[in-house]
This record gives sequence, structure tokens and C-alpha cells, in this order.
Amino acid sequence: MGKNLSILKNGLIDENPTFRQLLGMCPTLAVTTSAVNGLGMGLTTTIVLMCSNIAIAGLRKVIPDKVRIPAFIVIIASFVTIMGMLLEAYLPTLNQSLGIYIPLIVVNCIILGRAEAFAASNSVIPSMFDGLGMGLGFTMSLTILGMVREILGAGSIFGLSLFGASFEPVLLMILPPGAFLTLGLGIGVINKMTARNALKNANKED
Amino acid sequence: MKNKEKTTINWADTFKTAIILFLIAAIAALLLAFTNYITSPVIAKQTEQTNTAARQAVLSDAETFEPVEDLDAIAQKALGEDASIVEEAYVGLKGGQVVGYAIKTTPSGYGGDIELLTGIASDGTTTGIAILSQEETPGLGARSTETAFQEQYKGLNASEEISVVKNQEASGNQIVAITGATITSKAVTRGVNVANKVFQALQAEGE
Repeated sequence: MGKNLSILKNGLIDENPTFRQLLGMCPTLAVTTSAVNGLGMGLTTTIVLMCSNIAIAGLRKVIPDKVRIPAFIVIIASFVTIMGMLLEAYLPTLNQSLGIYIPLIVVNCIILGRAEAFAASNSVIPSMFDGLGMGLGFTMSLTILGMVREILGAGSIFGLSLFGASFEPVLLMILPPGAFLTLGLGIGVINKMTARNALKNANKED
Repeated sequence: MKNKEKTTINWADTFKTAIILFLIAAIAALLLAFTNYITSPVIAKQTEQTNTAARQAVLSDAETFEPVEDLDAIAQKALGEDASIVEEAYVGLKGGQVVGYAIKTTPSGYGGDIELLTGIASDGTTTGIAILSQEETPGLGARSTETAFQEQYKGLNASEEISVVKNQEASGNQIVAITGATITSKAVTRGVNVANKVFQALQAEGE
């Protein structure tokens, strides 16, 4: 269990897909215009990532090495499409708020990235935790980016107005340049923190 | 001899690989077909429900709706090229009297076609619009589904062309574009304008 927890933490912090691995940049830049969007995209991705990691870990001994990439893509695309259809048919309310993210997940390289880097060489349970950790790490990063952009660009958070009518929002922040600015600064902050921690650890050892 | 050895292919292995990949794809296709078979009637029913609810919402005065026949011919005559985005039109009836029309158009937005329903009362006033489906950018174009944007069309008159303005107050038959989503705002406006023309053609036809 301890191992699984460290896999979970690995996805959340140490190898955070957005800030450390720079995976899945397209949805990161495109949908983080508000906190709710970031959260929705993140959670939908988490579910798909867990399912695809489980399926691929289960089939890893069956799939020949030479054709693993096409096999992974077929499995992932099928999962996403089936999920989309089920959501549309049986959970129409949820589909209205999350449906728009589903087609975007097919092209999210985190899913294929984790299939290749983790699920293809690990058993089912750790793969599930890897999917959960990476997914939640992605969700956390997207929600933070969405919050920063929404506060600065629209003056609200999770749709609730923060500053009243007199606040003049910085429109740039919810437009595409705002995505690059926020992401760049976010990566910078994380790198700085990591460097400081590394220095502290090194000093302690001395 | 040496050359020949280099190009030798392990046929058994290649064949096995191809079969496994084929099986994975076949199973995936089967699962997809099965899910589609199960869910498509449910989805169709839900779409129909949404459409009925949307018609009721954009033209609340009407009690029943009847599809307009010969819509293609009427639209073609009145609109020419724009007729291609006219999808459906319904007459709204109340106690046998025509109270207005609900007209569905599909203008192209930023991310694909926007399915738009426009309600127009018999006197030519827009009673409301509803977006049935869209694939616009979340947070930008997708905000066209918010009431604040859609309310702007209410009460506008069908006889005048609606235009889109940015960074200023709307006056007359103008609406203010969604920030960062001018293309979407213009697309929705185009859909409403086309619906207005269809309405005028239907009125002329009825007289």
C-alpha cells in the first residue's frame, strides 16, 4: 500500500504532468479560462486515465511490443468514445457540463504517455494508482491555472464575482496569451521551489 | 547467401502480431458498435426532449408545434445561398391560432456548426434563442449558451438586420459580442438573421 501511495504522490507533485512533465499542453492552454473548466477537464481526464491504465496493464502481456502504440491508441480511443456515448445517454446533465471535454481527451498525450511509461510495464493495481495520481495532479494544475486566470481575467472565482462591478478585469488573462503567461510563471515557481528544496537537502547532508 | 539471410522475415511472428492487433481492433469495434446500439435510441429520445423543451422555451406563448412543410423550397427562394444553414421550422400554435415560429439554423462558429433555435412571434419580435449544441471554446465561445448573452436578442425586430458590436453599448438592433469570442457572436447573430428572413418568407407565404 505504501508503494501505491508513493505512486499517487509521484503523479500529484514530484512528476506533476503539467508543471514537471509538460504533458497535455493543448488542453492545459485551451480550457483553463476558468476554474470550473479546469476542474471539469481534469476530473474527466482522471477517469479515462484510470480506465485506460487498468486496461493496458491488464493486456500488457498480450500486446506484442512491435504494435503496442497502435494497440494503445485503439484502446484509449474506444474507451473515450464509449464513455462519451454512455454519458450522453444516461447522464445528460453531467454531459452538458463535461461533454465538451470528452473529444479533447482522445488527443491528450498524458493518456498515451502514461500507458507507454507506466501501464505497459506494471501490473494492474499500481497502474490504477498511477492513473489516479497523474489525473489528480493534472486536475490540480488545471484548476490552479484556471483560478489564476479567472480571478485576473474575469474578476471571479468558480463563477462567483469577487470584486464587484468597479473591478476592471485584465481581459488578456482569459485570452490565449494569458494561458502561456500563467503556465510559464507556474512552471517557474515550481522550478524555483524544487531548486530551493534540493539546496536545503544538500545543506542538511553536509 | 548472406544477403538473403538479412532480408528474411519471420513470417510466423509477423502473422501473429498482425492477428493480435486485428483482434484488439475487432474487439474494440464490437464494443463500440454494441454501445452505440444500446445508447443511440436513448440519445435520440433525449435530443427530441431537449428540442421540444427548447421550442417551448424560445416561444413560450405557443401550446403546440407543427413542422413547416416545403421549408427547403421557401428558404431557397427567399435566401439563396444562406438557405443551406436553415434546418427546421415549426409553427407555434395556441388554440388553432398561429402565435409565431421556432426556426432552427446551423451557422458555423469557431469550432464547428452551432445548432441554434430562434423563436419569433407573429408580430416579428424575437421571443428568445436557444443553443441546442455547439463545440465552441470552453470559457470563450461556449459562453454563448449563457442567458446574459442570449437575452440580448429578446425583443429585437425581425425586419432589421442585427449587427455585432465590440467594447461599446448596443443600440437599436445591435448585440454586444462575447469578449474573446467575436466569431461565435457573429455566427449566432448570422443564425438569428437568417431565421428572421425565413420568418418573413413564411409570413409572406401565409398571407
